[in-house]
Amino acid sequence: MVDPVLLIAVPLGLAFAIPLFALFWKDAAKYIPPAALGFNLVVSLLLFPKILEKPVIVFIGGWQPPFCINLVAGPVGVLFSTIIALVGLLVSIYALDYIKEGATERYHILYLLLLTGATGVVLTGDIFNLFVFFEVLCISSYALVAHLRDKAGIESAVKYLIQGAVGSSLLLIGIGLLYGQFGTLNMADIAEKITSASPISLFVPMVLLITGLGVEAAIFPLNAWLPDAHSSAPSSISAILSGIAIEVGLYAVVRVIFTIFGASSILLFLALLAILTLLVGEMCAFSQNNIKRMLAYSSIGQIGLILFALAIGTSYGVTGGLFQLLSHTLAKVLLFLAAGYMIHRAGSMDISALEGIGAKMPFTSLAFAVGAFSLVGLPPFIGFPSKFLIVRAALATKETVLIVLIGLALVGTVIEGAYFFRVVQALYFKGEKQNPGRKEAPIVALLPMFILVLPIVVVGIYPKLVTGVLNSAATEFLNRLEYIRNVLG
Amino acid sequence: MMSFLADYIYYIGAFGLILIGLYIILVKHNLIKVIVGLGILDTGVNLFLISVGYITKGTAPIFSKPGIDSEHMIDPVPQALVLTAIVIGVAVLALALSLAIRLYQHYGTLNLRKIREQRW
Amino acid sequence: MRRIVSILLLIIVALGISLSLAKIPFGAPKTKVGKHYINEGVKETGATNIVTSVVVSYRGFDTLGEVTVLFIAAIGIGAVLSTGRKKAMRETTPASLVLYTGCRLLFPLILIFGTYIFIHGHLTPGGGFQGGAIIASGFLLIYLGCQERRISRVASNMAESLGGLTFVVIGLLGLAFGGYFLLNFLPKGIANALFSAGIIPIIYIAIGFKVGSELTSIIDNLIEES
Repeated sequence: MVDPVLLIAVPLGLAFAIPLFALFWKDAAKYIPPAALGFNLVVSLLLFPKILEKPVIVFIGGWQPPFCINLVAGPVGVLFSTIIALVGLLVSIYALDYIKEGATERYHILYLLLLTGATGVVLTGDIFNLFVFFEVLCISSYALVAHLRDKAGIESAVKYLIQGAVGSSLLLIGIGLLYGQFGTLNMADIAEKITSASPISLFVPMVLLITGLGVEAAIFPLNAWLPDAHSSAPSSISAILSGIAIEVGLYAVVRVIFTIFGASSILLFLALLAILTLLVGEMCAFSQNNIKRMLAYSSIGQIGLILFALAIGTSYGVTGGLFQLLSHTLAKVLLFLAAGYMIHRAGSMDISALEGIGAKMPFTSLAFAVGAFSLVGLPPFIGFPSKFLIVRAALATKETVLIVLIGLALVGTVIEGAYFFRVVQALYFKGEKQNPGRKEAPIVALLPMFILVLPIVVVGIYPKLVTGVLNSAATEFLNRLEYIRNVLG
Repeated sequence: MMSFLADYIYYIGAFGLILIGLYIILVKHNLIKVIVGLGILDTGVNLFLISVGYITKGTAPIFSKPGIDSEHMIDPVPQALVLTAIVIGVAVLALALSLAIRLYQHYGTLNLRKIREQRW
Repeated sequence: MRRIVSILLLIIVALGISLSLAKIPFGAPKTKVGKHYINEGVKETGATNIVTSVVVSYRGFDTLGEVTVLFIAAIGIGAVLSTGRKKAMRETTPASLVLYTGCRLLFPLILIFGTYIFIHGHLTPGGGFQGGAIIASGFLLIYLGCQERRISRVASNMAESLGGLTFVVIGLLGLAFGGYFLLNFLPKGIANALFSAGIIPIIYIAIGFKVGSELTSIIDNLIEES
C-alpha cells in the first residue's frame, strides 16, 4: 500500500530540485510539474479502493496522536487530491506552450508548490498544519497573479495580498484561542473536547476561523479581491485559482464547521450568506464586458451555490455540494483554458472582440460552449445532475426558508444562462462571415481541453459513476464521531 | 483593578497591537503605511500566541544540566508555533514590499486611492 | 466616515476577543501535550532543547511547510523584481576607510556566530532559522558598508535548493527505513553531546544554510532593483 505522505513529499522535493535540474537541462522546469502531478494522480487512484473501506491515518514522525501531526486520507481527502492532481496535470500540459514570456522557470516552481499546498490542506488532520499549508497555497498564488508584471497584475496582486494576509492573521488568532482553551492542536482531539465546552466561548474562535478561511473561499463580504485577481492573472493561473484554490478554501471552512465544531446552528446563517454570494456574483457577471472578469464573477456565484448546498447539512445536501464542486472545477477550468487562446487570438478581453471566433477556432469554441452549458446546468452535461441533486436536497428538508432560498438560486441560474448564452451567441452567430482564416490553438492546448470535456459528458450521462465516492465523502464530513474514533483509536 | 492590569498586561499589549495594526490597514491610504500596519498586526498576533504558553514563575524548557527542575518549565508548543508564524510573516512582508516597488514604477504614486484602474 | 466605521468594527472585535480571553487565564498550568513533551522529550528525541525537538521532530511537518513558504517568497520576489539585466549602479560616495575595514572585519565573526547557533540548535536556545537570520544580517552589513560586493546568484540558488532537498530526502529516508516520514532513524547518542539527537542537527544545518542564503538573496533583489 502506498503511503499518502508521498502525495505531498514527492512534489515538494521535485519543486526544490527544479533549480538544480535547470543547471544541466534547460527546459527541465517545464516538464517536471506534469511528471510530479502525474505521479500524484497515480498514487491517488491507487489509494481509492483502500480508503473507501477505512480511512488511512498516517502519523508523521512515528509518534502517536495527539503528540504528532497526522494526515487523514479519507474519501474526502483522496477525492480532492485526485481532482487537484488531474486538473493540475492538464493545466501544466496547457502551460507548456502558453507561458512563453516572463520568468518561466519561476512560474513552474510556484505552480507546483501551489498545488502541493492545496494537497496538504486537504489531507492534513492538524489545525496549525492546515494554516501552514494554507499559507503555502496563498503565498504562491499572490506571486503567480503578479507573473506578467503589468499594471493590472501588480495592482490586483497587492490588493489580494493585503486582504489575504489580514485573513491569515485572523485565522492565527483563532488558532491561538483554541489552543489556549483546549491545549491541543489536533483536529480530532479538539473535536472530542469541544462537547464539554460552553457555546459562548466557542463562538469567537469559530467566527475568526471562518472569516480567516473565508477570504480565500470567496464568501460574500470577503471576496473583493477575486474579480481583479482572477482576471489579471495569466489564463492558466486563473483556471487554477478559480478551479482549485477557492474550492480548497471552501473545504477548509466546511471541515472546521462540520468536523471540529460540529456546529449546526450556524448553518442557516451560512445558507443565507451563500445565497447572497450567489446573487451578487451572478448579477455582477451579467453586467460585464470583459470575459475573464465575467468568468471570475461566475466563480463567486458558483461558490455561493456550493456553500448553500453544503450548508443544508443533510447527506443529500453535502453530496450535492461536493458534486457541484466537481462539476464547477471541471467546467471553469475548461472555460478559462479556452478563453486563454481565444483572447490571444482576438487580442483583447472584451466580449465584443470575440465575435466570430467560432469559425476561426472551432475546437476551442466548442470546448467553451460545452463548459458554458455544463455550468448553467443543461443536460447531458455534468452540471445537470449536480444542480438537480441540490434542488432535490433542499426540497427534501421541507423547511420554508431553504425552499425560498433555492428558488432564489434558480433565479441566479437563469441570469447565468443569459450571460453565457450572450457569449456563445457572439462566438458563433456574429462576426464577419466571409473568409474566416482558421488558426486553431496548438495541440498541447487542445489535448487538455478535450480530456476535460470527456468527464463532463460521460459523468453527465452516467452520474452513478461518481455518486458512490461522493456519498462516502459526505458521510465522512457529517460523521464526527467516526472521524474522532479513526484518528484517536 | 491594578492587579488585573498587571496580570493581563501581556494580553492587553498583544491585543492593543492587533487593534492598532487593523486600524492602520483599514484607514491609511499610503501603501507603505499599510504594509507597516501588516507588520504590527503580525507582531501582535505572535505576542498573543507566546503569552498563551506562559506559566507563573516559569523557566525555559532546556535541560542544560542533568538534574534540572522540570516542574516549572513553560509550554514549548507555542514557541514552535510562533517560530513558524514569524517566518511566514516575514515572507509575506518581503513579497508585499517587492510588489510595492513594482507598483511605484508603474503608477508613480503609492496612494491607494489613486491606484484604482480596475473598476466594476 | 471610513474612520468611524473602522473604529466601530474594531470595538466589536475587541469586545469579542476579550470575552473569549476570559477563559484563558494568564499563567495557568501546562496542558497535557506540553507536559508530555517536557517529560518524555529528552528520552524520545535525544535533544535537550525541548523547543527544538518540538519544532523538528514532533511537529517537523510544520517546519517543512515553513521552509517551503520562505522558498516561495524568495522565488516570488525573484520573479517580480529581477530583470536579468545588470543595472547601472547609482552614484554613491564610497564609505570611509574605518567603515569599510570594520565591516570586513566583523563579517566573518558574524558568520561564525550564526553557524555556532544553528549547529548547537539542539542543545542551546536557537536553531536553523535564528542562525540563518544572523548569517543574512552579516551579508546585509557587507551590502551596506562595502557597496560593490555581491554574492553569486548561482551559489545562493544552489544553497537554497540543496537545503530544501536535504530536508525532504531525510524525511523520505525515514519513510524507507522505518515506515514513518521524518522518523528519527539515526542513533540518539548521549544527551548534551554535540553529536546527539539523530537527524535533528543535520536538518538544522540544512535549514541554517538555506535560510541564510534565502534571506540574503531577498535582500540582494530588493537592493538591486530599487
